[in-house]
Formats: sequence, structure tokens, C-alpha cells
Amino acid sequence: MSQSDSELRDELRDLPVEPLLPIEKKLIGYSLSIGLVLLVVLAVVNHLFPASF
Amino acid sequence: MSNAALAEVRRERTAVPVLNEDWLAVVLGLFIFVLALAALVHVDLIGWVVTTSVWIDLGQALGTASKSYAALGGLGALVATYVALLAVLSAGAAALGTDVKRFALAFTAVFWIAYASWVVGNFANFAAVTPAEQQKFGISWSLKLTNEGAYIFALIAGLIIANFLPRFAEAIKDAVRPELYIKIAIVILGGFFAVTAAGRLNLAGSLVLRGIAAIVEAYLIYWAVVYYVARKWFGFSREWSAPLASGISICGVSAAIAIGGAIRARPVVPVLVSSLVVVFAVVEVLILPFVAQSFLSHEPLVAAAWMGLAVKTDGAAVAAGGITESLILAKNAAEGVHYQPGWILGTAATVKVFIDIFIGIWAFVLGYIWTNHINATADRDKARFAEIWQRFPKFIIGFVITFAIGLYLALGTPADIAKNVPAAIGEANTFRVIFFILTFFSIGVLSNFKALWREGFGKLAAVYLVSLFGFVIWVGLLISWLFFGGITPPLAS
Repeated sequence: MSQSDSELRDELRDLPVEPLLPIEKKLIGYSLSIGLVLLVVLAVVNHLFPASF
Repeated sequence: MSNAALAEVRRERTAVPVLNEDWLAVVLGLFIFVLALAALVHVDLIGWVVTTSVWIDLGQALGTASKSYAALGGLGALVATYVALLAVLSAGAAALGTDVKRFALAFTAVFWIAYASWVVGNFANFAAVTPAEQQKFGISWSLKLTNEGAYIFALIAGLIIANFLPRFAEAIKDAVRPELYIKIAIVILGGFFAVTAAGRLNLAGSLVLRGIAAIVEAYLIYWAVVYYVARKWFGFSREWSAPLASGISICGVSAAIAIGGAIRARPVVPVLVSSLVVVFAVVEVLILPFVAQSFLSHEPLVAAAWMGLAVKTDGAAVAAGGITESLILAKNAAEGVHYQPGWILGTAATVKVFIDIFIGIWAFVLGYIWTNHINATADRDKARFAEIWQRFPKFIIGFVITFAIGLYLALGTPADIAKNVPAAIGEANTFRVIFFILTFFSIGVLSNFKALWREGFGKLAAVYLVSLFGFVIWVGLLISWLFFGGITPPLAS
């Protein structure tokens, strides 16, 4: 790995600009949307069925 | 799987591996678990394993797990434990294809330094908690770090070696395997947690339901936000952003490497991300359990879930759960509330295990998107369903097996057998503590802060800092509060 240290440093410093593709925007959007909906559903379930001993 | 993958890049292998690290953890964890169960038929096979008590007189620090082997003495127990672990782990190293002689020498150094640090951490002025304990040891002050706070000493010993003795760190690298050690510990922990949960099955079932919230949070909320931050705010390429988001949001080492492979990133990308995550995990382990003790001592399971959600890497998360349990139980005990041990650690481990279960599926989803839509590749290189199983963290199978066996033994066997289960699994749990010590020490040895900065990690670290301290920790706390708030462990009988 040491051989590529300087190359990696340069790469991380001068990363080429890669605009977000539509598929990436979909991935982020769908993930967040589904995640938030599921969390709300789980929160409701959690409220209806509280932990019991 | 994580360290094995790291090792593929970093280490020179001398033979073809028979097992990978995950399967080896299952085999070794089950081996110790089965040996411990012999005590159910009154055959004590591992009672000689060493235990450490809080001490003021070093001669009283060490002992055996079982009184049957008391004649061995503390030092004898320590030597016996070292010899046994050396033999078993050397066989494991051979199965991994590592040079056994080099491993044995390295493990010798790792074991003795790590355990010595643990013993130092159990010195009464560091570990004694209650006024009664201080009076018992004849001391006027204590840092009140508790018995398990001594893990921090093993971590610091590793950090000193990594940052001030890099050549020594390099010399012992064959036995510096935090992921292997914690996975063995997690397999053993399954049985211990089963015995703990057996008395409160409803509560244990509730924890499982809440584990699902952790999965949603890690994969769908954290990942999406961190990926966006890395891509949009810091301008990282897709090849860097996906492993980085996976490392920060799911599991620092396992997920970063699994997702890196799934999107066909160069191996060096997830390896560097993993190195970064390990360093930040160390910082979290040193801070979060004490924050939890200060602010969440009356919400023990919120604190537990928070450790599982916010601390990345299996080793650091479960270990942080262990320290948190110790600190919170001690603080509550000082106030006269005695919670049953095992619930905080068990909850942190369960949350982390739940998150890990989906690594393979998430890797497949991202692999499918990448190989079909982002970097469309030839058919033979496209993501395959088989990768879900290939990337599944197999040590979880061991956790499930020991949990199921432990639960059956505690609930499904005649009373004369069931009453011996806690003691039998308690002996296996002593090995779990030792693997925790080895994990802490190893994490420290892998955390060379200077090397990270030399490799120009500033920008990567910035993503981590912004995501972790600006988002992951606080959302983790909020979700933990939402789903675990108001649930307390049973009181000790």
C-alpha cells in the first residue's frame, strides 16, 4: 500500500467532479422516504405494543 | 470476514486458508461453549480459566473461574489460559492459512500485554466503585471506572504501541485481529444473553422488535444521508462514497469491505475507509460510555441501543456496550438500584447483530444498481443473488446457535439441569471477557493516528466527523430514546 500512498493522497485531493446521477438521486430519495415511513410505522407499533416484562 | 478481507490486502499468506475468519469464529466460539456445557453433567472442563478481581494486593488479583481448580492459583490459571488459547488460536491461525510460528509469537505478546493492562485496570484506585468497596480496600479515592472499565487500559496499551512503537506493532500484527476476537466473543455471548433473557422472554422479544428499527435507521436513513454528504458536500466519487457511507452508517469494517466489493471498488478504497473507521471507533469508545453514564444512567437500554447504533465496527460497538453496562450498573448500584447484569451488553450486541444481518442484502442491492445502472458491466460481472450469502457475516449463525441452545437449556430442561446452566455458561462467559480484552488491545494497535494523517486522510476524516458528530450520534440517540425509552432491565433478585 505504501507504493500508492502518494497516488492516493493526490487522488483524494484532486477528485474529479462526478455529478449525482438520477439513479443515485432515486436511491437516496427512496431510501430516506421508505426509511422514514417504516420508522413511523414501527413507532406506532412500539406505542401499541409497549415492552412488557 | 472484515479482517480476513483486510488481511488479504495487507498480509502475506503462506498457505491456502481452510476457513475464513467468520467461520473460524463460529467454530472456536462453539468449541468453548460446548466445553462449558459439560458442567451440566458435573464435568468441569474449563473452570481453570483465569478471572481477575479488583485488587489492592496484586497477589489477590487473579483466580480461577471455578473453585474446583482453586489449587491452581491465580498465576497458574493465567498460564493455563494462555497455553490453552495459544493452542486453540494457533490451530485457528493454521486454518486461516497464517504462519503458525509467527502467529504464536505475536499472540504471546498480545495476550500478556493485553492481560497485564487488564490487571492494572482492576487496581482498586481505578476500579472500585462504591464507598463500601473503597472501605474494603482501605483507599480514600477511586476513579470508579469499574472492573470492566479496565478494557480502556488494554485499549490505551494498544494505542501506545501503535503510535509510539510502530515497529513492534508491525511485529505482532499476525495476532492483532480484533474482528476475529470479537466475533468469537459474540458467539459465546449468544448463550450468555439467552440465559439472561430466559427469565424475561417478553422483554427479550420486545428488544427484537426494536432491533428492526435499528436496521431501518442504519441502512435507509444513515446510509442515504452520509452518501449524500460525501457526494454533494465533499465531492467524493461514487467509488469512495459508497464504502464510506457504509462504513460510517452500517459497520465500519465489514460493511465497508462488503459494499466495496459489491460495487467493484478497488480493494484499497474499503481498506482505507476501514482504517479510518477503526480510529473513530476508538474515540467513540473512549467518550460515549462515559457520556451515557452521565446522562442515561436512568435509561440503561437507551444507552445500550445507542452504543449499538452509534459506535461503528462490531468490536467497538459490543465492547462499548460492555463498558456502558459496567458504568451504568455501578452508578445505579451506588443509588441503591441493582439491575440484572447482561441486559445492557445484550441489547447493544443484539442491535449490532441485527444491523449486520442485512449487510449481504444491502451489498446485493447496491451491487445490482452499480453493475446495471452506474457502471454497467458485462453479464459475468453483474451482481448475483449468491453474493447475499457470500457476504453474510457467518458469525451471526454462531450467535443464534448458542442463543437457541442456551434458551432451550434454561427453559426446556428438567430443573436439576436448568439450575446449573447459568454457572456453566458463566464459565464460557469468562472466555468472552478475555476475548473482549484482546479485542480492545487489538483495536488500539490498529489505530495509528499518525499513519492516517500521513496518508492524507483529512478529507475522508472530515466526512466522518461531520456525519458522525453532526448526525449519526444524535439520530441514534433519538431513535434509541424513541424505541427503548422507559424500558429498564429487570432488577437483580
